[in-house]
Amino acid sequence: MIEPMPASTERSPIPPFNRAADHSSVTSPGRTRSIGEVIIHLEQVSKVYDNGCRALIDVNLQIRHGDFLFVTGPSGSGKSTLLKLLYGEERPSQGEVTVNGVPLSQAHGNRLSMLRRQIGIVFQDYKLIPRRTVAENVAFVLWAQGFTRKEIHRRLQPTLRMVGLQDKANCFPEELSGGEQQRVSIARAVVGTPPILLADEPTGNLDPDNSWQVIKILRKLNTVGITVIVTTHDEHLVRMSNHAVVQIRDGRLVRIQP
Amino acid sequence: MLQLLTKSDYLLRETLLGLKRGGWMNWAAVSTVTVLLFLFGMSLQASWQLEGLLNQFGSQLEVSVYLDTGVQAADLQPLVASLPDVTSVTVISKEEAWAELLQELGASDLKNATDQLSGNPLVDELKVKARVSQAVPILAEQLRQLDGVDQVQYVDEAVQRITQLNQGLNWVSLGMTTLLSLTAIAVIMTTIRLIVLARRREIEVMQLVGATTTWIYLPFILQGLVLGVVGAVMAWGLIAGVQQFLGSLLAQQSEFVQFLTQQMQLTPREFILLPLSLLGLGCSVGLMGSLFAVRRFAVRGSKL
Repeated sequence: MIEPMPASTERSPIPPFNRAADHSSVTSPGRTRSIGEVIIHLEQVSKVYDNGCRALIDVNLQIRHGDFLFVTGPSGSGKSTLLKLLYGEERPSQGEVTVNGVPLSQAHGNRLSMLRRQIGIVFQDYKLIPRRTVAENVAFVLWAQGFTRKEIHRRLQPTLRMVGLQDKANCFPEELSGGEQQRVSIARAVVGTPPILLADEPTGNLDPDNSWQVIKILRKLNTVGITVIVTTHDEHLVRMSNHAVVQIRDGRLVRIQP
Repeated sequence: MLQLLTKSDYLLRETLLGLKRGGWMNWAAVSTVTVLLFLFGMSLQASWQLEGLLNQFGSQLEVSVYLDTGVQAADLQPLVASLPDVTSVTVISKEEAWAELLQELGASDLKNATDQLSGNPLVDELKVKARVSQAVPILAEQLRQLDGVDQVQYVDEAVQRITQLNQGLNWVSLGMTTLLSLTAIAVIMTTIRLIVLARRREIEVMQLVGATTTWIYLPFILQGLVLGVVGAVMAWGLIAGVQQFLGSLLAQQSEFVQFLTQQMQLTPREFILLPLSLLGLGCSVGLMGSLFAVRRFAVRGSKL
């Protein structure tokens, strides 16, 4: 077990965490970025919910294009809130969140929708649509984003093959195991080829074997250039996968581990 | 063009899917719209028919003044024109009237007929137009007092009563249409809202993957429109059925009744206007209902 480091070590220059933010990298959305460029930037971000609950306190974080980052911490520490801030489900009470060059404080309505097309999201509870097949669940994203029928057809099979579900395309979610359902949800998250993938406790409901399979898929996606951010409270999984880690404890970012 | 095709592909599919999810609620909505439009259409038609019937009795503002034998209409014209509430005075000389009458009777030999009756039996006539129908009885009385006036005729009070009845009916049907429109809008709103709620997981996912608000809610708006249009078509079918039934019933009646109802036939213009009005009202009711239904969700944005 790695001991939590004091906050003063936060200045260590290890990517992905770097306080000396370079604001010149903020550009227009949708631009293709080269590896190593800052793609997500949180500056002095605090989040206090309406009921007074302080979810995040003064968080600074910089994530570069092509990073694979684990966010760990006990339940209720603010991991999910951090991700929600990134895809605009919640707004920070203080500070600014910039994703792919777009300050989220300025992203509302259609602009937020367009930004969300740059982000794939995987949920702990999968959020699959019960009355639609695996293929329909994945294609649904492309329909929602206005892709043509031909393009949807072209993308569907490779994506399902990537998560190993090409034979279950016509099954309904309730006919699948938890691990398979989570893989459908990963397929759905990446079928629109977003540069960023957020996974909120993707292994929370899975046994170790399935968890490892999910992590392997996420790593594979990372190798093709997708920036991946995974929240988890499974320390064992984090140690096994050997990626950068930040820990959130009581709303504060307290530890970085390469 | 391709984008338009993609859009219609998606919209059509989602709209149909939504209607499928609606199940029996769709029928509640459609039947409410049908009842509304049926009553609306029938009262519109009745009002047109009553108007046609009333036009048969001639203008209600016109007073016919028949002069004593030997009095020239042209002599009296300036005096009549100077009376209050008179807008126009037209002279019909007895020669014109006689020629017209003989023609109507089918007699071709004007002179022969006149000789047989030892002269033109008719008198000169003035057609006086009043400004408002309320002034007609007073004007008629004034005209009757004039020297050289034999007889004064104007459209009966009974016809005026029918006119008032028609106006009253129009008000009643307007009130009824408004009330039923509100009911139909409420029912469509509830139907669409139930469908939205049943699909809230899908909508949530759509919002998370970056579907725009218009893209998400347009199928629901179209569903409302479809409900309105289906209601309009059904109402039109019902009205056409009732017309057919009444027509076959009339065919067995006496010739007099048939003659009376001949004037109640719709003109070609009205025949086209009726389904268009039904469609227009149906569409607006459907649109309003669905707009109200999704407005709340769309305004609240991501927090469904």
